[in-house]
Amino acid sequence: MGTRDTREIYGGSLGVGRFLRERGLRGTIAYLREHGVRGAVENAREDGRSLLGELRGISVAYLLLAPTLLVSAVFLYYPALEALELSFHQTLFFGGERTWVGLGNYETLLSSSAYHESVAITIAFAATVVVGVMTISLIVSFLLYEVDWGQSGYLIAAIWPYALPPAVAGIVFLFLIHPSIGTLTAVIEGATGLEVDWFSNGRQAFFVVAIAAIWKQLGYNVIFTVAALNNVPATLKEAAELDGIGRWSRLVRIYVPLISPTLLFLVVMNTIYAFFGTFAFIDLMTQGGPGGATNIMIFDLYRNAFEFNNHGLASAQSVVLFAVVSVLMYVQLRFSDERVHYGA
Amino acid sequence: MASIELTDLTKRFDDVTAVDGIDLEARDGEFLVVVGPSGCGKSTTLRCIAGLESPTAGTVRIGDEDVTAQEPHERDIAMVFQNYALYPHMTAERNMTFGMRSATDFSSAEIDRRVAQAAATLGIDDLLDRKPSALSGGEQQRVALGRAIVRDPAVFLMDEPLSNLDAKLRVQMRTELSRLHEELGTTTVYVTHDQTEAMTLGDRVVVMNDGRIQQVDTPQELYDYPSNRFVAEFIGDPAMNMLEVTLEAGSSDPIVRHEAFTIEVPNAPETEALDGGRAVLGFRPEDASIADRGTSPTGSVPDRRRTGRGDSERTTGPIEATVQVTEPLGDTLLCYCRAGDDEFKVQTAPRTGRAAGDAVTLTLDADRLHLFDLETGEAIYHSDTDRERRAATPEP
Repeated sequence: MGTRDTREIYGGSLGVGRFLRERGLRGTIAYLREHGVRGAVENAREDGRSLLGELRGISVAYLLLAPTLLVSAVFLYYPALEALELSFHQTLFFGGERTWVGLGNYETLLSSSAYHESVAITIAFAATVVVGVMTISLIVSFLLYEVDWGQSGYLIAAIWPYALPPAVAGIVFLFLIHPSIGTLTAVIEGATGLEVDWFSNGRQAFFVVAIAAIWKQLGYNVIFTVAALNNVPATLKEAAELDGIGRWSRLVRIYVPLISPTLLFLVVMNTIYAFFGTFAFIDLMTQGGPGGATNIMIFDLYRNAFEFNNHGLASAQSVVLFAVVSVLMYVQLRFSDERVHYGA
Repeated sequence: MASIELTDLTKRFDDVTAVDGIDLEARDGEFLVVVGPSGCGKSTTLRCIAGLESPTAGTVRIGDEDVTAQEPHERDIAMVFQNYALYPHMTAERNMTFGMRSATDFSSAEIDRRVAQAAATLGIDDLLDRKPSALSGGEQQRVALGRAIVRDPAVFLMDEPLSNLDAKLRVQMRTELSRLHEELGTTTVYVTHDQTEAMTLGDRVVVMNDGRIQQVDTPQELYDYPSNRFVAEFIGDPAMNMLEVTLEAGSSDPIVRHEAFTIEVPNAPETEALDGGRAVLGFRPEDASIADRGTSPTGSVPDRRRTGRGDSERTTGPIEATVQVTEPLGDTLLCYCRAGDDEFKVQTAPRTGRAAGDAVTLTLDADRLHLFDLETGEAIYHSDTDRERRAATPEP
């Protein structure tokens, strides 16, 4: 009787995987317990299939994965573990001198009100950037998608800021909206009556940096969103037109659900960007100020590491940052599982 | 319900003219099928009626209203697409009601009533809670039809609705569409490239090619009296045979001379004008028959599908030909025959044991001959004179 089952195990190039998928781990173990590995191999041999061939197939797969695994291990996993270790030490001279302090660095962070403020600012900043980028880029993409004339021109204009390196974009934006010499400053002051003084006004600084970060990231979002919109069958738009669905209703109730896998991807990417990729803007435009109003976690830990030379504390901060972003990713993916519509 | 009237409708895309000044009327309650090869402009015509394309020139009228400048949803139409165009993230019921709930003033109770009714008509009661991905192609198409029905529009527009279904389901849905139209009586314009669908569904059939209407007629008239070569070859499967011939005046009837045979064609008017001219002789594969060996070639045509074709059983011939290839179709045997340099198809009774290489003598049904102009392809003459008689009796 085992013959048919082993054919299931060894049939196909990655038959083991399929067998596992179909029976689950428990089922597979039960099967192997009943027949023994030897029995399974012999049954497979009777079927004229070679277990060796299967193993060779698997080893080729790992061989092909090796470069990626190697690079990840050297540049990602090893430094991450190293940082974790460093976070339990007090350090001098770039970590050259270390003293074990256990959870001391974490205790420092836990009791530091400045750090609490930094965490709160970071979360508010990330929320502003993610929501801002997603909303604006969705609207811009929809307009781009719907426009009949000059689409590629608009597309280039929308994507262009993304082509700038963050540092250049930061400087460009700094001079656009510099409180005294910015080219847009007079215009904004004239139009809104506000006084642009974000060098001293913390609230303004927060929004200026957020807007710069949003502006920079729009292009990236527009590329993906326009591509996703173009994948929606044209007849759906026509069906909606025949149904008399208005434009915005069409966007929100038809397009958004249909491109939700792409939007989820962008939420994740934008979150990572807001937490890590906005460093250059802070560094160039506000240095975390005024009064810590833009002192987001990534900038705070950079200063601890490279200005105050406290690598142990900075490592602890990066571990916390990692944990926060991980939890956010988990929540986002978990939450969206029920809402994202795949297979449009 | 309403009629549809297209006047001088033209649609150009850059330098391509998709629809070239057509005039067409779909009568109130009619099932009008537009058929033609890919790129003939049939879908563009339909999309102009729907308002999904705006015509370059000409007008579209639905009922008594000029709708040329109206948005699609203002036209009181419903459209069914080839790929169904269901919203993938909505259940079948939501698909059917989404437009009505978001863009009309119908009460919830009225919408529910209509959905229930449409679902019962289409037999999709059990599927209403499912999303399109959980439905088969045929079920999806039914839901798409349901979406059209619940709106109770003046006009149904259907763009190749059966083309994505497998062959068996297509035949089944075809019958259902017929039944549905009988039940609802809504004016329908149906676009297809499939001539069988066109013939079986249409009250009248519009044959299009190169953005122009070739002929508008009832299916049988199209089949019997194609107004040009294109229609003759497009309608009917296997297609009509076309042989280049010379016309001559005969003793009583005119004569058609081919390099391999000479036959008389009856009832031809005005042949003097054509004397010595070149033309194309058309006859359908089933209108040629292989004479039994040893009998006179001017005998009677074996009785095949001759019902409803008047009382004449005159034949003309003979044509000597050689069988090249045979294709057994079960109910008939299709023989590819060669006479001179020309090849043509002959549909004969099955199980006759004809094989490649056989020399055969053929006769043609003298009432089923067509002559077309060699240059323009326009029909010069059909040997059947029943048409005048038929035309004289009023349409039902």
